[in-house]
Amino acid sequence: MARKWTRSPRWAFYSFVSPWVLGFIVLTAAPMVYGFLVSLTNFDGSSPRWRWVGLRNYSELLHDSDALSALLRTLAFTAIVVPLSVGGSLFLAVLINRRLRAVGLWRTIFFLPSVVPVVAMAIMWKLVFNRDSGVLNSVLAYGGIEPINWLGGPTAFYALIVLMLWGVGGGMIIMLAALQGVPVELEEAATLDGAGRWTVFRHVTIPMISPVVLFAVITGVIGALQVLVQPLLLTSASGIAGVGTVPDSNRLFMVQVYQEFFLSNRFGYGSAMLWTFFVVVLGLTILLMRFSRTFVYYEVDADAEGGR
Amino acid sequence: MAVTDRPALRERALVTQPSSKLRRPRSKDKQAWAYVAILGLSVFFVGPFLWLLLAALKTPAEWGSEPSILPKEAQWGNFTAALTDMDFVGYAGNSFFLALTYSVLITLSSAAVGFGFARFRAPGKGALFMILVSTMMIPQILTLLPTYVMFSRIGLINTYWPWVLWGLAASPYLVFLFRQFFAAIPRELEDAAIVDGAGWLRIFVQIFLPLSRPVLITSFVLSFTYMWGDYIAPALFLDLDRTTLSVAITAWYQDPAGNVIPTVQAAAASLYILPVLLIFFFAQRFFIRSTLGSGVKG
Repeated sequence: MARKWTRSPRWAFYSFVSPWVLGFIVLTAAPMVYGFLVSLTNFDGSSPRWRWVGLRNYSELLHDSDALSALLRTLAFTAIVVPLSVGGSLFLAVLINRRLRAVGLWRTIFFLPSVVPVVAMAIMWKLVFNRDSGVLNSVLAYGGIEPINWLGGPTAFYALIVLMLWGVGGGMIIMLAALQGVPVELEEAATLDGAGRWTVFRHVTIPMISPVVLFAVITGVIGALQVLVQPLLLTSASGIAGVGTVPDSNRLFMVQVYQEFFLSNRFGYGSAMLWTFFVVVLGLTILLMRFSRTFVYYEVDADAEGGR
Repeated sequence: MAVTDRPALRERALVTQPSSKLRRPRSKDKQAWAYVAILGLSVFFVGPFLWLLLAALKTPAEWGSEPSILPKEAQWGNFTAALTDMDFVGYAGNSFFLALTYSVLITLSSAAVGFGFARFRAPGKGALFMILVSTMMIPQILTLLPTYVMFSRIGLINTYWPWVLWGLAASPYLVFLFRQFFAAIPRELEDAAIVDGAGWLRIFVQIFLPLSRPVLITSFVLSFTYMWGDYIAPALFLDLDRTTLSVAITAWYQDPAGNVIPTVQAAAASLYILPVLLIFFFAQRFFIRSTLGSGVKG
């Protein structure tokens, strides 16, 4: 034991991990504590004459119907987008994971959209969904359907979901790797025992890749809950000032927070919304982890220690 | 740990071909069905790229008042306008500088932290690692807005310092990538260096860092393309004259009435995504070559 310590002295460990430890304290922990303190004030971002208001921001939030409906809308958005994108990426991976001609080409085509920067993605889909000149309405016109103002009204919600699903190829790559990690012997054995293709997939493949699916669900939920830039950029107005023009159907919780911060200059109230949001995300994550224990299969015990 | 799988899986998937050699041959019908599905999906994934390019080649009239699918004559002038209506090259320079600074710093800092977690034992390591895992679950926007308020009070707004700080702070995701790689290297490698009297910093810089070239490049590519595409941080932290391309292309290209000119903006957006697509193509080739050559897998 003593030799181990001389071999790798403690100070060496602490110096090597210090960039992250310091970064965590300064850039994650400090802003969160600071945000909580601001949430107890009526700070407006510039005026020095702010004062403590205790938990008043939080009690106001409980009666803020705009914020609450935004929260519900965000939960609905997450409940729609996450299953579609996790299921979609798994579907694409299964589709690609077979002997096909030009499989590299298809993989690249499915994957490429997921590396497109969000600004370009929004510009592209605004062109597609454009009421007068968009390709979607041109196609629908052949079916005799009147032009639809996709981005102006309640339909903007669907446009947003389509935009989110366009980047599903990133998840596909991860699912593909997981599928290729499933031992062929297992699937063969099940097939020899008389299981059909679907049974093998459902009872062998899915359990084997379930940790990756869980990971995709959790990161997907966290990602979907904090969506902000996409609704901001899908508006007709340009850039950050567009927050006032986001249609009601796309007013997700973060859009509402953003508006409180930068349109109403209510930094205290906005911070209270952020902390409430943090508690919601934390709760949902823990819930998912608990729930997942019943159906996620771990081949090897998780090595949370991170040692060798 | 499922979380640790992600970077490795991603890398592996870019390398491996489908492992269908042992599966039963499929009937012609099923294959045909797969091709139909793939072609249909390709329209969905490629369509917006094509529509963007077509819009970038149209006259304003062909786009707006009398819409047509194809431009009569390709309007390359839209690209000239995209480059000259605003200081496109200047903004691209800002984007490049920020993305380069950030990705070099975060790659080196994450490599160092990953090395620390992979090669040493010390009290508190397990707890620190758990915190590292948990921070991946904190929504990024949650820290970004208070950081903005904090930085605006200490005068870091409209400077590039926040990007330097974010770069120095290492990313939990990349730390994982490096930790996995470094943990798989046999001890004998550093034993020889220890016998020769080399310090740990030297062992890290001269032995481990060069070995991790595939991971270094993966990390660099991921963080560079991330920062090149980031919108919210430059939109919040930088004024319009110092901001990046991602913000600039949404803010400029307006006619005198203040309406966006879609054709020119489409041309600008095409130029803006070009480096990312090129980097991806290059990186994909690199991943395949280096990973097969060195026998390294995450």
